[in-house]
Amino acid sequence: MSHPVRVEVRGISLSFGTTRVLRDIDVTVEPGEFFALLGPSGCGKSTLLRLIAGFNQAQSGQLLIDGEDVSAVPPWKRNVGMVFQSYALWPHMTVAQNVAFGLEERKLPRPEIDSRMRQALELVGLEGLAARRPGQLSGGQQQRVALARTLAIEPRVLLLDEPLSNLDAKLRVHMRRELLAMQRKLGITTIFVTHDQEEAMTTADRIAVMHEGVIQQVGSPVELYDQPVNRFVAEFVGTINLLPAQVSGNSAHCALGEVKLSMASLASGVTGQALLSLRPHSITIEGTPREGAADGRLWHPGQVLEREFLGKFIRYRVRAGEAELICDSAHHGGDAGHAVGSSIWVGMDPGDMGLLQN
Amino acid sequence: MQQRFSWPAALIALAIAAFLITFLILPVLTVVKAAFTTPQGGVTLTHFVGFFQLSLMRESFANSLYVAGMTVLLSTLIAVPLAYFTVRFHFRGGILIQTLGVLPLIMPAFVGASAMQLLFGRSGSVNLILNEWFGFTVPIMQGLNGVIFVETLHYFPFILLNVSVALANIDVAMEESAQNLGSRGWRLFRKVVFPLALPGYIAGASLVFIKVFDDLGTPLVLNVTNMLAPQAYLRVTSIGLEDPVGYVICVILVIFSIAAMSGSMWFLKGRDFSTIQRGGQSLQKRKLTRLQEVFAWSWIGLMLLIVLSPHLGVLLLSFAKVWSFSVLPDAWTLDHYGVVLRDSTRMIINTFIYCGAAALIDVVLGTAIAYIVLRTTVPGRRWLDHMATVALAMPGVVLGIGYLRAFRDVTLPWSDTPLLASGLIFILAYAIRRLPYALRSCTAALQQVHISMEEAAQTLGASRRRTIMRIVVPLMAGGIMAGFLTSFITAAVEISETILLTTRESLAPMSYGIYLYMQSIAGRGPGAALGVIAVVMVALGTYLSHRIIASRDISQRIKAA
Repeated sequence: MSHPVRVEVRGISLSFGTTRVLRDIDVTVEPGEFFALLGPSGCGKSTLLRLIAGFNQAQSGQLLIDGEDVSAVPPWKRNVGMVFQSYALWPHMTVAQNVAFGLEERKLPRPEIDSRMRQALELVGLEGLAARRPGQLSGGQQQRVALARTLAIEPRVLLLDEPLSNLDAKLRVHMRRELLAMQRKLGITTIFVTHDQEEAMTTADRIAVMHEGVIQQVGSPVELYDQPVNRFVAEFVGTINLLPAQVSGNSAHCALGEVKLSMASLASGVTGQALLSLRPHSITIEGTPREGAADGRLWHPGQVLEREFLGKFIRYRVRAGEAELICDSAHHGGDAGHAVGSSIWVGMDPGDMGLLQN
Repeated sequence: MQQRFSWPAALIALAIAAFLITFLILPVLTVVKAAFTTPQGGVTLTHFVGFFQLSLMRESFANSLYVAGMTVLLSTLIAVPLAYFTVRFHFRGGILIQTLGVLPLIMPAFVGASAMQLLFGRSGSVNLILNEWFGFTVPIMQGLNGVIFVETLHYFPFILLNVSVALANIDVAMEESAQNLGSRGWRLFRKVVFPLALPGYIAGASLVFIKVFDDLGTPLVLNVTNMLAPQAYLRVTSIGLEDPVGYVICVILVIFSIAAMSGSMWFLKGRDFSTIQRGGQSLQKRKLTRLQEVFAWSWIGLMLLIVLSPHLGVLLLSFAKVWSFSVLPDAWTLDHYGVVLRDSTRMIINTFIYCGAAALIDVVLGTAIAYIVLRTTVPGRRWLDHMATVALAMPGVVLGIGYLRAFRDVTLPWSDTPLLASGLIFILAYAIRRLPYALRSCTAALQQVHISMEEAAQTLGASRRRTIMRIVVPLMAGGIMAGFLTSFITAAVEISETILLTTRESLAPMSYGIYLYMQSIAGRGPGAALGVIAVVMVALGTYLSHRIIASRDISQRIKAA
């Protein structure tokens, strides 16, 4: 297979009529990277993917694949493989004919077509089903055929449009791993569209979170989770507590009192009206008073409003002073946790707190 | 979906537009212009005044309206109870009712008309029996009555099919909530069920009205000439192409067709009453009591007998050696088929050539228009669809006369043969007239092809042209085939344009042959034999296209499951 390529999206904007679907998108996907476009439906992620495939045209900006501007190149000359959400397998062709299609369009000699078709089917573990029609396959098998059909042409870039959304939950986790293993093996630059943050976090090297046609943040799963740059990313990637706060100097005042800001928060340059952010698992719940404890944590009395048992942990909704917090408390066998209505203490480490502009 | 502008698509669209303008819009405009201009070329309304001053014309106008109106009324009386019955009651003979809905359509009205004379005419089988046993006769085939009777038997399925579908789409909850509020019986039907089915009825009834109003073949075969379409034909063929009255009639026919079509469209707008919700159920079916069942069987049996009478009549006629003033033929023979095969093979071959070529043009244009409308950004592409659909509202008489006038001086390229004296004119006329059927079929087929099927091919390196050839057309194949068959069989029994455009017997298709044979008593046998051949062809084509559509539905269902 040829060398992995870089995909650069530079200042791309696109409108359908008066609706601005993509606004000044700038993002670079590195060679061989497994890159996810993550966002709620209607955020423009699929539009961006289709633009890379050549089915949408930007009003302004550039799209570079391997350093070459392909904005004016039609889809069939881009050598960019795409796996469609619906798989788009042709019902009038057998599996073998589906997979051989792209090779035939490239006018390769018949023996080469046959051998590459067989290789592609082997790669996805379907060599026995070459003579079947797509209608005779299960959802998971159809997806493998779609993947084999795309990989057979050895595309420079692999685009996946919600590839797992039509599979049931168990198969989805399995296919996710398989997809990642295959991508690692082939080293092909892959862009993956999903609305499922768990899917993106578990598979992607880096993720671009999109909202209303704008890229909110690009980063590794850990960066997005630990250092979200704004409220949207913070709330979209996992569950988070956000406390309105007033920043002054190196501390912030919130409903729970004065919080000393961490170095990272200070470095963010957020001032004035802000939000303190804290993941539920960073909050400790204790039944006994801990005020004045010398552990550097901020302790505050509160009351349990609701609880949900989730197996590994118990998720509490707690009222502490003026604030309502969600806290996840690890569950150990035999531990009943705290009852609804009981008085408790919540403890927070200022070092775990992030700071976002409100 | 956003597509690049495509020059090839735009050029093809332009070529199709030019074709439609030349062979559809231009002939119609020629007719309209002739109706409004003086011999010196000025605009005038005097031809219309002249038209209404002729008592024959006033009478023809009234007769055409009367016949069309009565046909709609009688068709309603036959079709609506049948449709209601099928949705309302469990009836083991359901297949019989479905047969009732299809059988008349495969027997062109003008073919059955002669046989109906022999069965129901003044000295036909039924009246002979009635006279012998009860001493009276029924003038059911006399004059306008004959036209109404024959047209009703041919066209009532349009109402039956439309109303059945509309009734089947009513959610049982609609009726149950009315019952819950205290409504029942006749009031329930009148105030809830029928209004919900009304759009279906209007669609069917307006279609029947236009078809009958414009029909030329049936009145001519029954020798009824005091109606509009026959008058237009007689004027143009006997007095000549310069006589303005024929054109005035054409304009009236066009106005009524367009008014009826746009009227029903206007009525249907915003009244999509198919109220079945996801998971909803159709109207509850009721059980028939023993007595009701006996009644139902006899009623539907009688209907079937009447509906089948043209078919039986034509079949008997085609085997009858002598059949006059007797209930059944006196002697049987196969000679008529021999005559037809000896003398009319040319016509049968012509039909295959003309209709085959016309149907081919239709599916090629239909596929191209469907693709351009649904898959490209060519400006004004919707107009191609609208323009092609206009042919539905154009009476055959009008197009036929339009062709005669617009192309009278046109010769075939590289020869001196006039276009009107060549087989090509039939191909063009049939292709234009039947294009809407093929177009609907192709459009429906393309709508079922998900766009990602094409995009997948493009990401794999297939250009737009290659994608059309390898993906789009193969996936549309069923719809294209069904469209081809529909165009073919409806063109094979077209009579209005055919009568007008036939200049020489050697060029005539078999529909003209049937019409010609039926003109003389001696020719009725061979005419019926040719009719039987035509009906078998149409039946076969209808069956095949139903099969294709049904098998496609099944494959879709398998895919969905």
